[in-house]
Amino acid sequence: MKDTTEQEVIEIGDLDVEAFNEYATEQGWSDGMPLFVPTEDKVAKFVERVRGDNRPFSPVPPRQVVPTLQSLAANAVMAGCKPEYFPAVTAAMRGVLDPAFNLHGTLATTHSCAPMVMISGPARKELGVNCGSNCFGQGWRANATIGRALGLMLLNVAGAKPGEMDRSTQGNPAKFTFCFGENEEENPWTPYHVQRGFAPTDSVVTVMSGEGPHNLNDHGSTSGIGLLTTFAGGMATPGANTIYGKGPLFIVIGPEHAATLKRDGFSIESIREELFTRSRVHASRISEENQQTYVTTGHKPDGDWFTIAPTPQDIHITVAGGPGKHSAFIPSFGGTTVACVRIAP
Amino acid sequence: MRIVNPTFGVSAAAGETVALKPVNWKTDAIALFSNSKPNARELLDGIRTKLSAFRSVDNIDFVAKNSASQGASKDLIEKVAANYRGALLAIAD
Repeated sequence: MKDTTEQEVIEIGDLDVEAFNEYATEQGWSDGMPLFVPTEDKVAKFVERVRGDNRPFSPVPPRQVVPTLQSLAANAVMAGCKPEYFPAVTAAMRGVLDPAFNLHGTLATTHSCAPMVMISGPARKELGVNCGSNCFGQGWRANATIGRALGLMLLNVAGAKPGEMDRSTQGNPAKFTFCFGENEEENPWTPYHVQRGFAPTDSVVTVMSGEGPHNLNDHGSTSGIGLLTTFAGGMATPGANTIYGKGPLFIVIGPEHAATLKRDGFSIESIREELFTRSRVHASRISEENQQTYVTTGHKPDGDWFTIAPTPQDIHITVAGGPGKHSAFIPSFGGTTVACVRIAP
Repeated sequence: MRIVNPTFGVSAAAGETVALKPVNWKTDAIALFSNSKPNARELLDGIRTKLSAFRSVDNIDFVAKNSASQGASKDLIEKVAANYRGALLAIAD
């Protein structure tokens, strides 16, 4: 390896917060919202939180530089994180560096995808991550800033500058931040991280490059099968990237819907099977030209139907949110994976 | 005021330097490399047709990645490097 000409620590003179933000914007470091100043002492407090986790980071594509804990922490400081959030932030970074996540592709694509971050286990409560009402929305510092920190790292370390390396046609508000907690207390099944082989006592960050949440509204169905009819219909959309049938997706079930499904005997596995079978898109809803594109890129229909996931196991199920008859469908970029990383204690 | 540079990183080892050899675009074997996006093949096909106006196209071949959303495999890149003197890439949508 060779050092870049950049310096890890920069002397910028006596700047107040407003002047720093002007400076940072000129450098291309900003996501457009105000930043906190990553002074050496603030960064040191963050780095201290991950002293027990000395695993090196692999080069971050597309820019292919190996970040230091200090440079990652600088982004977390700028995002407004508290120091105690930093282990979750670094876990998210390790997740997107899983080769199967295809970070280069997800950052450089014209698709609108953004890194979805879900937190499971005890860290949710310890960090104050919102798992209940409005969990995808505003109002919680941990949700807002952990997701934002990852976005700033991808901008500044990975080099995903909008309009340059980040070629997204329209982008997505989730590129500012997209972090929520699993509502394990109202999950009648196995928590997601335990489904993935972690212990219930582990704290885990799950990342997927996804679109924003698509609402699945069903106030009328009083049966599990009725809810799955709505879910499958909502998932069967020709405009989401899942139409290529090549990647994972998330169904985030609201607690009231989850209780109904559980009452009617549905398990995670049977929900997956039902949704895989019924969320197909009929060829009549897709133009002939587009059908041809799918077929030539390897996604052949099953009769007159296009599946939106390669297998039932690519449909990932969890529970989050508060009271109300809503759930959410989160399609992925397609050529990516759902990566889980345990938060270092 | 001293701050930590949020873009700082150590660059990965530079790739092996390869001595460039001149390409004779009138005779050498050329790969027309598609990123597998829709219409990339059509675009490259048009280039091949234009090339046919002043050279043989018997040694101009189409090559494509397996997926539009994934990078080309190392094997594919090595195969192109071994068999062609030049490559024209379709890299956008």
